[in-house]
Amino acid sequence: MAEAHPVQMAAHAAREACLRIYPLVLVCLVWELVGRSGLVRPLFLPPLSQVIGQTGELLREGEIIEPLVVSLYRAFAGLVLAVVLGVTIGLVMARSQLIGRFLDPLVSFGFPAPKIAFVPIFILWFGIDHLSKILLVAFTCVFPMIVATHAGALTVGRAVLWSAKAMGTPELTMLTRVILPACLPQIFSGIRVTVPVAMITAFTAEMVAGGGGIGASLMFAQRFFQTPAVFVYIIVMLLSGLLCDRLLLAARSHLLRWEQAEG
Amino acid sequence: MLLQLLPFGLLLGLWQASVSFGLVDRTFLPGVDSVTLAFLDLLRGGELLHNLAASMFRAFAGLAIGVALGLAMATSRGADRFFGPLVATTYSLPKTALVPLFILWFGVGDVTNILTVVLACLLPIVVSTYHGVKAVPEVILWSARAMGTPRTQMLGRVLLPASLSATLAGIRIALGFCFVLTISAEMIAAKTGVGKLIFLYGESGSYAHMFAGILAVVGIAFAADRGLVGLTNYLLRWHETVAVGGAHG
Repeated sequence: MAEAHPVQMAAHAAREACLRIYPLVLVCLVWELVGRSGLVRPLFLPPLSQVIGQTGELLREGEIIEPLVVSLYRAFAGLVLAVVLGVTIGLVMARSQLIGRFLDPLVSFGFPAPKIAFVPIFILWFGIDHLSKILLVAFTCVFPMIVATHAGALTVGRAVLWSAKAMGTPELTMLTRVILPACLPQIFSGIRVTVPVAMITAFTAEMVAGGGGIGASLMFAQRFFQTPAVFVYIIVMLLSGLLCDRLLLAARSHLLRWEQAEG
Repeated sequence: MLLQLLPFGLLLGLWQASVSFGLVDRTFLPGVDSVTLAFLDLLRGGELLHNLAASMFRAFAGLAIGVALGLAMATSRGADRFFGPLVATTYSLPKTALVPLFILWFGVGDVTNILTVVLACLLPIVVSTYHGVKAVPEVILWSARAMGTPRTQMLGRVLLPASLSATLAGIRIALGFCFVLTISAEMIAAKTGVGKLIFLYGESGSYAHMFAGILAVVGIAFAADRGLVGLTNYLLRWHETVAVGGAHG
């Protein structure tokens, strides 16, 4: 590979960054201009600057952080439940033919089901507060986790399994010390796919059923035609999702350092 | 086939037994018998079919527009340059969050619903088609060019068929999204649709009807997924690695 000149490299990086950012800047600019021009009523599209002003106001009143914490708590509590359950079920399905055969049709039936349709059932059983949301998130996320773990566990190298067995590893240790670490990358990919799903489910359930959280705040703002606040909550949801994904990627490269060696 | 149905039979049996023996309160979990009756009742009244038709129209119209737009975006450099970063920034946004905004702009109804579905379907299709097109081996492009394929036909005759399996994988994800989005949008605000129907029954306490509606939706989502898998296997019968099947792959 030819050595690139540092200045050239910097210029290239700057160009790439500009190319990535310009559509966003353009959209923000058009938004602000259209909002100010009076072509549309501010009720439909308040200018960006007004939305930013509203953000400060809502922040001071504690109407962003508090509901966001509630929503994130629900999303991540549900996610943790789903990961624990999903990984366990996935591993067991891969190790035991009988259980695998039994659960496989159920999983492939449940996987494509639109879980949000179960909101009324969860409200009926668990009320409208934390519990029903956490369980709905878990119910939604458990299927992708099972599938990811199961697929990962099935691809563990036979040689690895044989050597472990030859060294007299008991079945339970086999699961926790050999198969689980070997399919960690797949589990992690599963978690990465599932984190946005968990957040989306929590937000949506709150929008549909109320019971606090940022989704409920959004619906509240819309019902009272506080359009700037509607935009603020949408942007907050977007940013919290982006941030979680970034954090997850950082965690992955830290936790799975050993994976790089294999390519 | 019969073995695959066994777990479902067992589950239904367990459900009915726990209701019949009074282990759970009938108000919280209506038995299989009453749900079946409610389902037949909904079918006879035409209520279910009417609302399902409205929902399916929204879901599939959104999916179709999403697929077309996604393909256009994934294969056009200019469109990708502009929309790529926008799609990447907004992917973590629950598209349902846009429903309140769309209601403000377009009112309650088909437009709001379909637009939400379109936006949700775009990302999986764009991403998978894009990677699919990128992964087409250069050799294929070279041979096509050497055999005199015109530039205008490269896309339709070479690139898209060669990346079909990736595109179909994206469409499968989008198919799941289109049901979720249609139903949640209907639950948030709608006049018709099966999501609305389920919610109404839940609020009025007709839980057997609510369960029947939910099970109908789950059944349709499953059938659509299976149908797409079948179509994929048919379309890709020439492909060396047809690896779409049950959860086992």
